[in-house]
Amino acid sequence: MIEKEGTSDKSLLTFFYLKVLFANLSNPMAFFSVILLTLIVGCAIFAPFIAPTDPYDLSVVSILDGRLAPGEEMFDGTIAWMGTDGAGRDVLSAIIYGLRTSLIVAISSALIALSIGIFIGLIAAFYGGKVDSFLMRIVDIQLSFPAILVALVLLALLGKGVDKVIIALVVVQWAVYARTVRAAATVERHKEYIEAASCLGLSNSRIIWKHLLPNSISPLIVLATLQTAHSISIEATLSFLGVGVPITEPSLGSLISNGFDFILSGAYWITFFPGVMLLATVASINILGDQIRTILNPRFTE
Amino acid sequence: MLAFVSRRVLQSVVVLFVMSLIVFSMINLVGDPVDMLVNPESLPDEIERVRRDFGLDQPAYVQYWKFLTGALSGDLGNSFVFGRPALALIFERFPATLELATFALILAVIIGLPLGIYAGLNPSGWGTRIIMGSSILGISIPTFWLGLMMIIVFSVLLGWLPVSGRGEIGYFLGIKSSIFTLDGLRHLIMPATNLALFKIAMVIRLTRAGTEEVMRLDFIKFARARGLSPRRIIRFHLLPNILIPIITVLAIEFGTLIAFATVTESIFAWPGLGKLVIDAIINLDRPIVVAYLLFVVTLFLILNLVVDIIYAALDPRVRLGGSEK
Repeated sequence: MIEKEGTSDKSLLTFFYLKVLFANLSNPMAFFSVILLTLIVGCAIFAPFIAPTDPYDLSVVSILDGRLAPGEEMFDGTIAWMGTDGAGRDVLSAIIYGLRTSLIVAISSALIALSIGIFIGLIAAFYGGKVDSFLMRIVDIQLSFPAILVALVLLALLGKGVDKVIIALVVVQWAVYARTVRAAATVERHKEYIEAASCLGLSNSRIIWKHLLPNSISPLIVLATLQTAHSISIEATLSFLGVGVPITEPSLGSLISNGFDFILSGAYWITFFPGVMLLATVASINILGDQIRTILNPRFTE
Repeated sequence: MLAFVSRRVLQSVVVLFVMSLIVFSMINLVGDPVDMLVNPESLPDEIERVRRDFGLDQPAYVQYWKFLTGALSGDLGNSFVFGRPALALIFERFPATLELATFALILAVIIGLPLGIYAGLNPSGWGTRIIMGSSILGISIPTFWLGLMMIIVFSVLLGWLPVSGRGEIGYFLGIKSSIFTLDGLRHLIMPATNLALFKIAMVIRLTRAGTEEVMRLDFIKFARARGLSPRRIIRFHLLPNILIPIITVLAIEFGTLIAFATVTESIFAWPGLGKLVIDAIINLDRPIVVAYLLFVVTLFLILNLVVDIIYAALDPRVRLGGSEK
């Protein structure tokens, strides 16, 4: 998944978004994925206004509505377009709220991991030598273990909870960012403007944050996009396995896990629809990431 | 070369040691293990006795030393649930996981390679668009959800394949495996396909990229100019050149297959390592979790070590520490 990105000029950075938008209009699949992603994020943000019922409100949820097939009418007259689960919760509403949990976990863990990764990567690239080899050794070791395994083991030790899942996802992701930032920053480190900055007597921290940082983060745009999709997937997998977010705050993964018990009896909708939503979210982010990569990589645009 | 290998082996040992330290301290920091061993209604002096019997009243470094010497002699304690040595259970379950992962890897190669070459040779065809589109889908689709959908379609709706278990196990040349019986194969095909799907998509992408790159090179042009048939060019000129990176990546990915098997195994109730550890996590069976962790870390270190040594044998720059320039 991780491929080399071409380092690009800072002035181009602002131009990227326009280009992405423009290219999207000409490629129907990418255009569609942007629209879909906007809708998904919109649903997650405005969940309380969009969802037909509140799946957390136990006074509304009625066991009499349990396992209704898609399109059937619930006790209070609302139509359950995607059916209801074993406890009588509307699947559509649960999905909209679940999306919220999934996105919050993925995005906050991506942001924290990104900050740690940028910090470590820049320090390694700027100081070089022993510091660099020590930090990169840790990164190498960390990356030699599959993400799902590290997260699984961490959660086995830490226990359940939204905060714990975020910690696990940060631990899993920071090294990827650190390695990429370090690769870009090492190239920049030996350029003349950095030399000039240190000749001017600027402090190391000023050089790192004001000069090295802005010129080293463009490869992260694509990476962060793809990593976010990846971490949504990992979170869902962990929650499915029963070590992720608790059932009181269901994410898409725990909704699917909840439906697992019903598939043999034919109530497919409890697992099917949350999974479709998960797939739509992950796929649209991946397509967007692919699209940005194609635009940024000069080899493909020629 | 000898210096490189010994440096890497030493490094692996250090990593393993640090891992054991981390695992040990986390397990002892998170909660009191005595709480898990005794009945919550037991009297204080009874709790004290259990604490003394298990050596939990001693200082942490003494406990760690006991843990470490135990681990080195293959004793990682007994499973709380099964009441048997944890390491023995791990080794008992490992063949099933190995079988699943190997079969998935074979599937990934025999499906992914031809599709990838086709996509690389016809970059703008409709077939390629479909293949590449499905490969994005294959990377995005959550493995566990796909497994559930497979059960719904093939077991519940069509009734073709069994839902769970390993089926009848056959013997061939002294190897025990489900591959050798028809019933075993019927049980194996769904979990293996499920596990392989992500890797198939990955092999397609790698092969396509490799094919596109190699087909532009001069020796392919010369082979064409000599009038060789396209089949011969693919077989003798393209394949050997794209296979090396693919094989190396797959060797590393084999480890992730074993890790991802935890997910597939818990869906299809495949009696392997992954199922064992998920159950252990849920039942708070710590000796199993620790044994699994140390086993998998060792497995990965060996796998990475082998890959690194192969790299070093092929590329002298790696041997001389090329990353420290």
